[in-house]
Amino acid sequence: MKSSPLPFFTYLLLLGGLASFLPGGLQAQEDIRCLTCHGKPGFKKTLPSGKVLELFVDPMQLRLSVHKERKCVDCHADVTEVPHPTIPQKVNCARCHFLGNDVGAPQLKRYQEYGESVHGKALAEGNTKAPVCQDCHGDHFIFAGQDVRSLVNHKNIPQTCGACHLEIYAEFQESVHGQALLKGIKDAPVCTDCHGEHNIRKPQDSASMVNAGTIVNTCSRCHAKVVIMEKYGVKTEQVATYKESFHGIANEFGMLKAANCASCHTAHQIYPENDPRSTVNANNIPKTCGHCHPGANANFAKGRIHLNPKDKSAGIVYWIALGFKILTISTLVALFIHISLDLYHRSKNRRKVLQDSEEVTKKVS
Amino acid sequence: MNPVDKSLWTEKDTGELTRLLSAVVSDCVRKDFPEGLSEAQRQRLHTELFTSLREETVLDARRVVRRFQEEENRQRKQAEKKRRKQSMADETVQRLSLQQRLQHMVLFSCTLILIVTGLPIKFHDAPAAEFIIRFLGGPGVTRWLHRFGAIGLTLVGLYHLWYCMAFEEGRKNFALLIPKLQDAKDAGQQIGYFLGFKKERPLFGRFSYIEKFDYWAVYWGMVVMITSGYLLWFMERAINQFGKVAYDIAREAHSDEGLLATLAIIIWHFYNVHFNPKKFPGSLTWWHGRIPVEEFREDHPLEYEEWLSAQKLEEGLELPSETASEPAEAVSLESPGGKTA
Repeated sequence: MKSSPLPFFTYLLLLGGLASFLPGGLQAQEDIRCLTCHGKPGFKKTLPSGKVLELFVDPMQLRLSVHKERKCVDCHADVTEVPHPTIPQKVNCARCHFLGNDVGAPQLKRYQEYGESVHGKALAEGNTKAPVCQDCHGDHFIFAGQDVRSLVNHKNIPQTCGACHLEIYAEFQESVHGQALLKGIKDAPVCTDCHGEHNIRKPQDSASMVNAGTIVNTCSRCHAKVVIMEKYGVKTEQVATYKESFHGIANEFGMLKAANCASCHTAHQIYPENDPRSTVNANNIPKTCGHCHPGANANFAKGRIHLNPKDKSAGIVYWIALGFKILTISTLVALFIHISLDLYHRSKNRRKVLQDSEEVTKKVS
Repeated sequence: MNPVDKSLWTEKDTGELTRLLSAVVSDCVRKDFPEGLSEAQRQRLHTELFTSLREETVLDARRVVRRFQEEENRQRKQAEKKRRKQSMADETVQRLSLQQRLQHMVLFSCTLILIVTGLPIKFHDAPAAEFIIRFLGGPGVTRWLHRFGAIGLTLVGLYHLWYCMAFEEGRKNFALLIPKLQDAKDAGQQIGYFLGFKKERPLFGRFSYIEKFDYWAVYWGMVVMITSGYLLWFMERAINQFGKVAYDIAREAHSDEGLLATLAIIIWHFYNVHFNPKKFPGSLTWWHGRIPVEEFREDHPLEYEEWLSAQKLEEGLELPSETASEPAEAVSLESPGGKTA
């Protein structure tokens, strides 16, 4: 919805309506002055470099967005006269969007998180391609995240991120998560569910949600929840069995070279086990395990990876576990009884000895 | 003069010495410098000589006394040690050979390392597990400590098999450790005795059913733990050879048998040798291999009888029939005192 089909009509509508729902006629007048030029469809300017700037603004977009009560110069604050002689600076959202602002912008900690994120750091280092607020949230047509029209709405996130991250977008679209999203499944994770929103960090950063030390928790947020997983026939015990495995225990104790979820399932190219493209497909298992276990052969695929010894489906391992359980309990019970009897006998003996000696002393005295 | 008799150098001794020194000095001054000296000069010479000699003489005397005292103490301690050793030799019996003690020491040191580094993996959720792993230097260190313990355990296990075959002592002891029907009967009688149904305790030989159980529990544990442990250590080769199911079985068996062995050691073995009211808090038998004769007679009466008759044969002494039931006298006969009598 980049340009309205009826710009002129909306312009008239705005003229009629503004006076009634906007406070102060001056404000409306200022916007009208801006729109004298920027309200003309096809208004553009060619720079000396040859670059063409599309300068048409559909005023209806702003009036429908969360910023409906703002006027042009609230954000384009460096425009002090009309027409403005110079090209205005890029809008700085932090003018209002900071913690403790008094103009009614939401009070969120996220504003600071951006500065520490991979995008914010890139910007600070002078990378002109680094995304700023407008690149993800849009400029005039900004909506709350829950609104389906928002660029940062759950279903639109992949396209928004994909605008820059093209290859990963393509991989994600093919994956089980991307396909689920296309089917309209709201539980399907998008980029931000795993990577975070304003706090996106490099995977190597230990504070990142996709760091080797944190990824298990990130995946567990959905994959350990029966309520979510049972809808799609995915087992939640995969998380528990991973945590019981040597990989999981090593990861828990901070040995991050041990395999985590993404080491075997990959980050973006996640497919169901029976998909031949899947890294955990039986045919691909030797290669996947071989990354860390050199020389792994087809036998690595013989037997389950996420094995739960407490479940009958584990086959012989279940019976061995059960056998040991019985053996341990019965042995310990037997030993415990033997010890108790020994102690019982000793205490009885001691009492008898004491009694005897008392009798002897009585007789003597 | 015998300085050893003096336990401490006192002020009185210093006074005595000073008086003696003064007398000697004045004697010397009078005898050796008779001519040309006035009384005042004589007096001054005496004072100078006396002051320069006094300090050193007293110090030297003290030093000598101390050295004598130290020497005396050392001799007394040695005599005491010798006496204690002698009395221990009289009151205790060498029951475990150096071979057996060394095997036991290696076994329990390795087992302790393995338990401390192994259980935190099984109970990784427990806060103590995290603490132990961090305390020992992280999972990278504990896994190698575990493997170090494993190598020690394997070596002592293999050596034990060799010991049971190649050594006369090993063959004899192993034969005595084989479970027999008598052991079941003994266990029944022991329990009956505990409950008061039986009047008599069963008579044990060198190894009671309790010790046999201990031994074979360790035997079984070693076989399971070492086999499964090496399958886990060399898991790539194990899986390539036998499939992942072999690894899964090894993992389960290693984990479960590890717990069973630990509990058996803590409950059974520790009770029998440490927490048992009679033994608490434990003896040094594992170190010197000796047990008190009294305990020997009580816990291993059959072995005791054998040992007694062997002693008699060695010393060429006839054992009076009535002393067989009187261990105190029997022991006194064993002592060197009895020999000279």
